[in-house]
Amino acid sequence: MYNRKLAKLLTHSYQILAVILILLAGGLLLLPSYEKHEGIEPESLLANAISPERYISSDELAHKIISGDPSILVIDVRDSERFESYSIPGAINIPLEDILDEENEEYLDQAAYEIVLCSDDNFYADQAWILCNRLGYKNLRVLQGGMQDWFNSVINPPQPDEKMPNSEHELYSFRKSASMFFGVAYEDEVKATPPAPKPSPKPKTVAPVKKKKKKMPEGGC
Amino acid sequence: MKELEKTKRISIAAVLSILLILIALLNYKKPSFLYAQNTSTTLMKMDTTDYLVSPQGLETESYVLVDVRNPFDYEKGHLPEAINIYAPELLSKDHTAQLNEYLQEGKIILLYGRDPHETLPAFMMLCQLDMGPVKILESENYFEKDKLITTYSEVEKPSPDITGFIETSVKKANESKKQAAKRTVAPPPPKKVAPVKKKKKKMPEGGC
Repeated sequence: MYNRKLAKLLTHSYQILAVILILLAGGLLLLPSYEKHEGIEPESLLANAISPERYISSDELAHKIISGDPSILVIDVRDSERFESYSIPGAINIPLEDILDEENEEYLDQAAYEIVLCSDDNFYADQAWILCNRLGYKNLRVLQGGMQDWFNSVINPPQPDEKMPNSEHELYSFRKSASMFFGVAYEDEVKATPPAPKPSPKPKTVAPVKKKKKKMPEGGC
Repeated sequence: MKELEKTKRISIAAVLSILLILIALLNYKKPSFLYAQNTSTTLMKMDTTDYLVSPQGLETESYVLVDVRNPFDYEKGHLPEAINIYAPELLSKDHTAQLNEYLQEGKIILLYGRDPHETLPAFMMLCQLDMGPVKILESENYFEKDKLITTYSEVEKPSPDITGFIETSVKKANESKKQAAKRTVAPPPPKKVAPVKKKKKKMPEGGC
């Protein structure tokens, strides 16, 4: 009795197995919907976004531009109007809303350059950085403080007073020469640059020798 | 009998493979957090400035304030009725459950930190997970004499006119150059000649 039932079942065994396999294969189709999200995992993105490693200071960037570092490329994420009015020399403009366009991908997703993102302060640049980091782009930095810090520290550095430590004065002299590199002129520097007026030969002071006048003999008594 | 042996083997192989698939399925760990927004839709959200709330508009809507600073700063002082979720610990089950609870009550999550920049990573993370309405308090919060001071700080404040600054500096420098040049060219002040009074020849006066 039992054997007969088993034999009966076994005749259908192929069909049963096939059905189970097909069902499981169907289940595989559902799996990828979990994996659909693009980019790196949220946990690592959050960790990357919080770490301040990506920031580059204005002084550091100025030093790199002045020394002619060929691997540096500045990308300005402000709108084109503000970009036209002023930007860091050598910067290219990719407005924030176009940052994910395909034609800009070759700028951002590469290994040859060190890209520095900048905006007015670093809020928009950070947004661009976080999105690019999610897509796994490497070699991206953010200019800390953005154009405002660029203006306040490189273009128009505050003059340290005498009481400040020596390092401040050294920093100031670096920033001052950097700002002159970027086109700022200083009044006191200009005075020193024109050829110093030739020391005009001092007019000889001729001490007039007073001639004693011949006095007419005064009549004595 | 031979036929039965064959089917036995095939069915054993099939059962084994089914078992393998089942084990794989059971081991598959569903990632705890998944992006609900892709990068381009997130970027579209970022393109508006609706997500910024200035400290003046705090009372008008039902916000739940979330402090993303570290717990020490939070203990030292925080905005009234704010809860503390330290930004690096944002992606933990407890915290997201807490946030979801507030969202189900129909509240809007309002994040704040030392400044809007510190808040941004947490904000963008919640946006990409699409938890619900999230905003940023556009303020700077700092301690002065152990008291929390909240001031409005504008995000992306336009930088000063740098081109103008450079131009005026060059102009000024040129002017002072001209002045300096003038100064060198200017003829030396005329020598003052003190007229020497000639003593008049006096006629010899007669003696007494």
